[in-house]
Amino acid sequence: MTALNPDFAEEMMKYGEDTALACFNCGTCSAICPLLHDHFPRKLIRYIQIGAKDRILENAAELWKCLHCGLCTQTCPREANPGEIILSLKRMAVENWRKS
Amino acid sequence: MYRPRDIIETIAGNLRRTRNPFGIPNTLVNRWWKDADLPKNGEALLFTGLMYQFVPYIETATGYLAKFEDTPWAEYLRYARWAPSTLSGLGLALITPGRDKRKFNRTLQNIARILTASRASFYYRPELDQYSGVLLYDLGDQKTFENHAHWVARRLTSAGVKKLITVDPHTTYALKELYPKITGAHFEVTPYFEKIRIPARKTDRTVTLHDPCFYGRYLGLSDVPARALAALGIQCRKVEQSGAFTHCCGGPAESISPKLAGEVGGRRLAQLSAPGAPIVAMCPICLGNLRKLGADVEDLSSILAENLAA
Repeated sequence: MTALNPDFAEEMMKYGEDTALACFNCGTCSAICPLLHDHFPRKLIRYIQIGAKDRILENAAELWKCLHCGLCTQTCPREANPGEIILSLKRMAVENWRKS
Repeated sequence: MYRPRDIIETIAGNLRRTRNPFGIPNTLVNRWWKDADLPKNGEALLFTGLMYQFVPYIETATGYLAKFEDTPWAEYLRYARWAPSTLSGLGLALITPGRDKRKFNRTLQNIARILTASRASFYYRPELDQYSGVLLYDLGDQKTFENHAHWVARRLTSAGVKKLITVDPHTTYALKELYPKITGAHFEVTPYFEKIRIPARKTDRTVTLHDPCFYGRYLGLSDVPARALAALGIQCRKVEQSGAFTHCCGGPAESISPKLAGEVGGRRLAQLSAPGAPIVAMCPICLGNLRKLGADVEDLSSILAENLAA
């Protein structure tokens, strides 16, 4: 069971990027991503949209597969900046480890 | 894949304690200038950010990481952050081959020669040339990155530095884009290849140029090195992905997962090998990762310096 946090997208502002709600999940980012990995980063952006913060933190290691190469940001039709969203999630995860 | 937390806390601890992500004293890492006759006065500080100097150490460290990735030994990495930074740093310095250190020192000496031949007004002061901390930014450790960036920016501003000449895309991005936002310090940052004014010579050479993500996409500078080569008569073959759509070399993943860095780099190497010309890189991370994959890759500066010697 995953608890949903409706304010999560807003909370992300603290870590740098609050554009997750602009994403309409077209999957261009996942198609262009050099990782070719399991709907990355689209899946994680969807988790932000639905407030599944716990799900992201449970699988936080996945975030560091991102090379921060910026191809997803370059090609996003909604200018949702997926690369920076992933970087913001990394910041959140690091802060979370250090608090715990 | 290693646990990101173990890698991040080790690197962050080293950077906090020694100002070096490996814990190696910077005076041991930054020695290229000792064999170069560099100006002490000029308009812009040559700021290497120590990235080229780090390549041999990255190759040694990631060689061990590759050996133990996804084995039970990987578990022991969690204790690395408790090891004294200088002790582990000195150990790494000792096991890193001297020939590799000299090779990358020559890259920086070539860059200084190119700047001198281009009559660029620059100077070098090793005590001001520090690591930018950009890896911690990429890894999401914003707090450690910000603290380090403030320290570096304070040193530069106290010394009256206003202009910087950089040699790699990651340091260029950090100093040009991140430092002004984070530290409030604004430097005029110029990559060395924007300063090239070498008299044109006739050469008959073709290369395949790999655009790094930070020059090609983040800074939109990939035309500049290609133009510098064209001015020397060196042609660049077309690559499947380049410029703003360039493909990552895989290098940024090398600390967390050498296996992943190899997979992504392998895909890029296939694109770069297709045109059949010698591969040229202009980023130490790309250079190191492509070398690890067995590519015969040269740095842009060595191609340009060859032309000086011709």
